[in-house]
Formats: sequence, structure tokens, C-alpha cells
Amino acid sequence: MSVFSEKLQDKFKHYLARYETRRSAILPILHEIQDEYGWIQPEHIESLEKEYGLAKVHVQEVVSFYSMYRTEKPRPYRIYFCDNIVCTLMGAEKTMEKIRKVMKSYEDKGLESPFSLEGVPCLGVCDGAPAMLVNKERYLRVDSEKVEEILMKYGA
Amino acid sequence: MPAAKHKIVTAFEGIPQSRSLETYLKHGGYQNLKKALSMKPDALVDLVKASGLRGRGGAGFPTGLKWSFIPKDSKERYLVCNNDEGEPGTFKDRYILELSPHMLLEGMIITAYAIQSKKGYVYTRCEFYEEIEWLNQAIDEAYETGYLGENIIGSGFSFNLDHYIGAGAYVCGEETGMLSSLEGKKGYPKLKPPFPAVAGYLGKPTIINNTETLATIPWIIEHGAEAFRKFGTEKSPGTKLFCVSGPVKNPGVFERPLGYPLQKLIYEDAGGLIDGKELKAVIPGGASSPVLNKEDVMTMKLDFESLAGAGSMLGSGAVIVIPHDVNIFDVFKVTADFFHHESCGQCTPCREGTGWIANILQGIEENKGSPADFERIYKIATQLMGRTICALSDAAAMPARGFVNKFRDELNAYIETKRNTR
Ligand SMILES: Cc1cc2nc3c(=O)[nH]c(=O)nc-3n(C[C@H](O)[C@H](O)[C@H](O)COP(=O)(O)O)c2cc1C
Ligand code: SF4
Ligand code: FES
Repeated sequence: MSVFSEKLQDKFKHYLARYETRRSAILPILHEIQDEYGWIQPEHIESLEKEYGLAKVHVQEVVSFYSMYRTEKPRPYRIYFCDNIVCTLMGAEKTMEKIRKVMKSYEDKGLESPFSLEGVPCLGVCDGAPAMLVNKERYLRVDSEKVEEILMKYGA
Repeated sequence: MPAAKHKIVTAFEGIPQSRSLETYLKHGGYQNLKKALSMKPDALVDLVKASGLRGRGGAGFPTGLKWSFIPKDSKERYLVCNNDEGEPGTFKDRYILELSPHMLLEGMIITAYAIQSKKGYVYTRCEFYEEIEWLNQAIDEAYETGYLGENIIGSGFSFNLDHYIGAGAYVCGEETGMLSSLEGKKGYPKLKPPFPAVAGYLGKPTIINNTETLATIPWIIEHGAEAFRKFGTEKSPGTKLFCVSGPVKNPGVFERPLGYPLQKLIYEDAGGLIDGKELKAVIPGGASSPVLNKEDVMTMKLDFESLAGAGSMLGSGAVIVIPHDVNIFDVFKVTADFFHHESCGQCTPCREGTGWIANILQGIEENKGSPADFERIYKIATQLMGRTICALSDAAAMPARGFVNKFRDELNAYIETKRNTR
């Protein structure tokens, strides 16, 4: 029995046959695993070696090099806030402060915040600075007022 | 393509449903591919050479010349579109995907034919979730209608294209880092020479071009080299996408002829600064380009040679406007932290040097600075240049030197105010 669903296994096979080398399938396979399970777990890496012959060292190298692969169980809503030049100029820090406040309000009640916050490099949407992603959803011109409404949408 | 003044890659601006294949075809889409396929591949390389087109990804290398570096006797060749758009301040390739992904595809297929490549990749950063879907759809449509795949529109030429998605690493925008990533490895850049045109993807000859560069190709096929040279300057022919960001009234992407006045771009096209703010400085070509002060801005022309002459660079065309009420130190620090964070660590000068600069700035911010600090940063930055595997190290060093050069007084005054509050 594989740890991966049938659907995922089909996708893996497709990627493994698609590129000039099997190794090139590692990045797309990891994206699929992360989409399905939220993060890349040690047992996934084990299984990729056992079931598909993708060397553990090769997979591990990729997982640790690229910042968008997660190796810990994530919170339901991950906020990636651009803290690069333009977003900083346009007030990113103030908005992030607001997000931290919302997150802290959970902790104050002894709850775990459903949000996590991470500063990321330029998201390539600087005409809409400050910019952020919540999971895969993009938000532009998020000032400290607008961000409250957005977080409420996610249940804050 | 829809004909409008100054519009090459933004020809579809304002046209409804511009992304669809139907719209693209209605406006003459893929006609240039037809034309190109009836020409000899070498004639296409010569045409692009004659147009004087220079790479739009940052370095400005002549595109036709790059194509001609592929060894004549090589069989397997690859084409890679650099759609990583990681240079802070840059959002132009995204705009091309938003307007007309088919224009990029047509440019790629023509380029593939010109260099006789049968397999290509578009490498896109993963954070462009929506744009990735748009391009995927365009690729599917192109396969369905026979513009991609075997025997393209009955020409006997075949070209297959894959869309490869990155995973969050600025250094993968560097062409050899991108090749490592496409090979399924960590995005370590590789020592040049050999250049990718000779030994690239899997050691095979590979042409890597930026999205905007490739999207320009159909227009050049349609109108010819002379028409292209009517825009721009002798050394920088054609138009360029400029991304204007910061506190201006209309931030966005503007296609303008090279040699265009920076002042006009900021004050007319982008509408000037908001809320009565005054301009203090401009970063003219993305985070790697040295900053300009107000005096420079007022006379600067946006082309490769003018910016190089002023000690900066055109880079990716990302114009970041910095207002009077922002401390230049803060901009410097964000920039330095970014390059330190993104250094892949292979080369000692880059790994250590970017860290030292970031640490010194951190110290100043924590009120532990001394007036000698900025001279030290300048010296470290100088040591970072020209001695590493890839140009990320130079990309970190040049703006650091630029901030010290142009804003030494303000930076030193910042240390003083910090000390007085100690
Ligand atoms: C650190 C670094 C990051 C880069 N990032 C990008 C990028 O995101 N997009 C891009 O097109 N070129 C980028 N480049 C430039 C590429 O290495 C390469 O010059 C370019 O893709 C060539 O295409 P062109 O000749 O059409 O400009 C980067 C270069 C360096 C050193
Ligand atoms: S210069 Fe920096 S980013 Fe480039 S290969 Fe060396 S360490 Fe890596
Ligand atoms: S600097 Fe924030 S999106 Fe570019």
C-alpha cells in the first residue's frame, strides 16, 4: 500500500515520464504532495524513494533549498506578506503589525491562531503594494484596515 | 497584431478577452509564426540581430547574437523562457501573461524554429498562481490548434513546450540557477563558461530568454528590423516595459520607447507623487540597480547606455519611486537583507559579504553604528564584485555602493541622530 492516493500516484507517473530525466519530476511532485497534504512529511520522502526510486538525498536537497516547501504542519491560513522594497515603502510593516495583533488575540484567549505570518520577497505585484498571499489567494493594497476585513473572511 | 503607437508587447491593452486564442487569432495572431516557418532559420537569426533587440531580463545582451552562439553541429537544443520575475520592483512579465500569453507562445515557437529546438520550457515562479493557469490554458489551446506539438501547421517543424513551476528562490531567475532547477536540483548557479548556448540544460545547447524578449519576436517578424529600430536609440532599439511603483498616482506598467525621459515617466505617465509628497530618489532598474538622486532623475534617459553612464543600470525596467519622507537607510537595509537572504551560499565572497553588509546595517539600526561603517560597507561591496559564480553578488554590491555614493550625508546623519538618542 502506498501512502499516496491513486490520483496522486497517477500524477507522479505522468511527471516521471514527462521530462528528460526522472529527477526533474521532483519539484512538480513535491508541489502536488504539498497541495494534497499541506506539507512534506518525512514518510513522503521515504515513499518517494521506495516506490519511485527518487533518491532521498535528491529529494531532501530540493525540499530544503526552496522556501515554498513546508516541512512542518502548517496552520490553516498562511499569510505570506511581501516585506520587500516597494511594499515597505507603502506601509507593509504597519499592516503586518495589525496581523500580529489579530494573531495575538487568539493566544490571549489560550487558542492557537489559525493564521501564520511570514515575510517574503517581492511577489511581483508592486503596483498593488502592500501585497500578500493568504494560501494561494492574492490581496493587493492591504492597509491595516483592509487586512482586518480580509482576516474576518477567514474567520478571525 | 493590433497597431498602436509605441505598442509592441502591450498591443492587446484595452482589448476585451485579450487572453483568449480567439481574440489573438482575430488580430492576426500566429500569422507571424506562419511567415517565420516559411523562412530559413538562419534568416530569422539575422533578422533579430539586425533589429538590435537586447535581452529584457536585466543584462541587455543582444538576442540575435546569443542565438548564433549555438554550435552548428549540435543536434539536441533547448529553449527556456525565463518567467521567474523575481527582481524586486518588477511586474512586467506578469502583465504580458495577463494581456496575451499567446504572444509569448508565438514568440517562443518562432524562436525555437530559428534556433532549431524541439523542446522548450517556460519557468514561472510559483507565487503567480493565477497567471500560471492562464499560461497553461494558452499552451493547451496552442496544442489543440496545432501551433505546438508535432508538424506545426503542416510545416514539418515540431516543438514541444512544458511549463515548469519554481518553488521560491530568487537565484533561480539567474539563468544557470534556473537550469539546475529545471534538472530537479537545488537552484545552484553554474560557472560560466561554458555558456548555456553551448552547454546548458543537461549539458545541451540552451537559449534562455526573458518573457518580454520572447514576446517581442512576433512584432519584429511582422514589421521588420528597421521598423523596430525606429523606436529607441542607436544602442537600445525598440520599446521597453517600465514598471513604476511606489507612492505615485498611477503605478503600473508602461510600454515606452527606450531613451524615454525618466522624469516624464514618473510625473506624466504615472501621474506624479501622491499626497503632496516630494521625490527623494529613484531605483531605476530593480533592486540590483544603484539608486539615483533627484538631480539624476530630472535629466535621465531610460536606455542601457544612459543609465550605465550614470553608474546605474536599466536592469529589468523596474522604476521604484522613493519619497522625501522615507529614510534612505530603511530602503538600503531592506535591499541588503534581501540579497543576504537570497545568496545561495556557494561562493564565499557572496555568502559572507552579503551577511557582513546586512549585519553592519542591523548594528546601525540597533544604535551600535559608527561613522566609519558606511566606508566599510563600500569596501566590502567592492570586494563582492566580479569574483563569484553568478552575478547575484554584483547585484548585491552595486546598489550598496550606490546608496553610500549618493546618500552618504543622509546616512551619516542617521547614525548621528541614533547616537544622540543613545
Ligand atoms: C540573481 C539574478 C536574478 C535574475 N532574475 C531574473 C528574472 O527573474 N527574470 C529574468 O528574465 N532574468 C533574470 N536574470 C537574468 C538572467 O540570468 C538572464 O540574463 C536572462 O534571463 C536572459 O534573458 P534575456 O537575454 O532575454 O534578457 C537574473 C540574473 C541574476 C544574476
Ligand atoms: S554569487 Fe552568490 S548566489 Fe551566485 S552562485 Fe555564488 S553564492 Fe550563489
Ligand atoms: S515589493 Fe512587494 S510585491 Fe514587489
